[in-house]
Amino acid sequence: MNGDLYDPRKTFGAAVTLEAELDERIVVLSTDSGGSSGLGAFQQKYPARYLEFGIQEQGATGVASGLATMGKIPVFCAIAPFVTCRNFEQFRNDLGYMNQNVKIVGRNGGFTYADLGSTHHSLEDYALMRMIPGVTVLAPQDAGEIRGAVHAMLQIRGPVYMRIGNGPVPQFFPDDDFVIGKGRHVREGSDVTVISTGYTTVAVIEAVDALIAGGLGVDLLCLGTVTPLDDELILESARRTTHIITVEEHYPRGGLGGAVAELVSGTFPVIVDRVAVPHEYVPTGPYAEILKSYGLDAAGLEVRIRELVTQHRQVAAARLP
Amino acid sequence: MSMTATELALAAARARRLVLRMMEAGRSGHLGGALSAIDIVTALYFNELDIDPANPSAPGRDRFVLSAGHKAMAQYAVLALAGFMPPEVLDTYGSFKSPIPGHPDMHKLPGIEANTGALGHGLAIACGMALGARLDRSGSRVFVVMGDGELTEGANWEGAAIAHHHRLDNIVVFVDANGLQISGRTRDVMDMAPIGRKFRAFGWEVDEIDGNDMSQIVEVLARLPLSAGKPSAIVAHTVKAKGISSLEGTAGSHYWKPTQDELTAAIQETEARVATLQVEAAR
Repeated sequence: MNGDLYDPRKTFGAAVTLEAELDERIVVLSTDSGGSSGLGAFQQKYPARYLEFGIQEQGATGVASGLATMGKIPVFCAIAPFVTCRNFEQFRNDLGYMNQNVKIVGRNGGFTYADLGSTHHSLEDYALMRMIPGVTVLAPQDAGEIRGAVHAMLQIRGPVYMRIGNGPVPQFFPDDDFVIGKGRHVREGSDVTVISTGYTTVAVIEAVDALIAGGLGVDLLCLGTVTPLDDELILESARRTTHIITVEEHYPRGGLGGAVAELVSGTFPVIVDRVAVPHEYVPTGPYAEILKSYGLDAAGLEVRIRELVTQHRQVAAARLP
Repeated sequence: MSMTATELALAAARARRLVLRMMEAGRSGHLGGALSAIDIVTALYFNELDIDPANPSAPGRDRFVLSAGHKAMAQYAVLALAGFMPPEVLDTYGSFKSPIPGHPDMHKLPGIEANTGALGHGLAIACGMALGARLDRSGSRVFVVMGDGELTEGANWEGAAIAHHHRLDNIVVFVDANGLQISGRTRDVMDMAPIGRKFRAFGWEVDEIDGNDMSQIVEVLARLPLSAGKPSAIVAHTVKAKGISSLEGTAGSHYWKPTQDELTAAIQETEARVATLQVEAAR
């Protein structure tokens, strides 16, 4: 990490533009959203491959399906709820059921569009996308992973949903080692497994490093892929720590925490504490204040993880004969 | 080599008989809409679409999208007649893992281009195909058959706007306007008339025909695109369950679950029609 911060949309757009130079099948779809998705440079460079549809995500998703039939690789980026909720049936039928090679990117994921309110928040996108058979769900965690995930999603055939955020992100990870379905074992410890995904990982690493400095043995797994889940990495860690805490900017139902709970319940049942956004319509205001109010900033996460570990130890101790 | 209107009418009559073959196998199905649209589907496959059953995935082929996926029996019958599958496949209709389910599935049967069934999806998919063809300068055209009851789905009009804005004159939509849907007359359930003027207002070139009159279908196909630079919409006025006199023009034919006697009578009627048209075509 060099201390620089990168705009996730510009980073994404630049990565797509770079890939498009090498693969002329790549086309970009915009629903009055291309410029604000960092794809202005793509439009300048490849005007014929930049297709504008105005504000209509259902139509554009159907178009993406048809373009894929003709051998194109459509990349369609807009505000996350509009490319997951508004067009859900088109995603399910026209992309999932038809198994089309289309890449949908939800930007301003989670509640990063803080003051714009719940219509513009996306706290169920992992859950929705995870329910569609065959859809890969990516949540790159830093600038390097955004670049790596763009490359990786364009290399595989099939529908992909990727969530990126809004605020600037640092770079922890290299640009070129993103592997779909593989998580990163970022810190090693034996007291508790912490699993994070998406841009939330930035705050989680800060919190975990403080906890480790305080003597807690945290095994930290950072996942740039929500689906398919890195079962092997998670189970290996769960067997050693017997306690998992997941952290995500998503509702506690159906996202990373849900996926991890589903995994371990059938294989190696351990307590899974899901640190997430309460299942409610999030208050509006500055992003940092909302994060803080939910304890999802680094300071809040440090406190919460310590509390959960203490609670877990007390419960475990009480169970002893 | 293109077929005459009489030859096409004979093919459509045979296709109607094949629809009933599926009904014999499955014992129930979306009959009414399949039979109102089947003349159009027959004419497209035999006279218009640049497709080859021996090479159904040829990149430069024309595409056919059945937006009203419940009319699938019409497409299956015509695909069988056109040689995309042996007719025996029709006998699997309704059976476990049949390649010809109640709504078409592109992964199960060659010649199917889209998984339709949820209404209002086909036109936008077709727009993507038409845009892709244009990017590749392949000359492929995209034909869509939709129902009039389907037009209430808002996503259709997103597609209609796209085709106009991107000047997709390689798209041709046939609206199978049989005037009926499950609950009754379309004008009573949700009145979308005048259909032609709606498409025209969206920037399409529009024509209206009798969609069960093969000579009118042949005539309009010869004039495509209706206007250079514009997508074409043909409002085809049809009769639901056309060809089975006891069911014609009834909403109840939408999903038909016949008794054996009703099915036998329908088969006899379609076979008689085939025989009559064979004589006419031989002249």
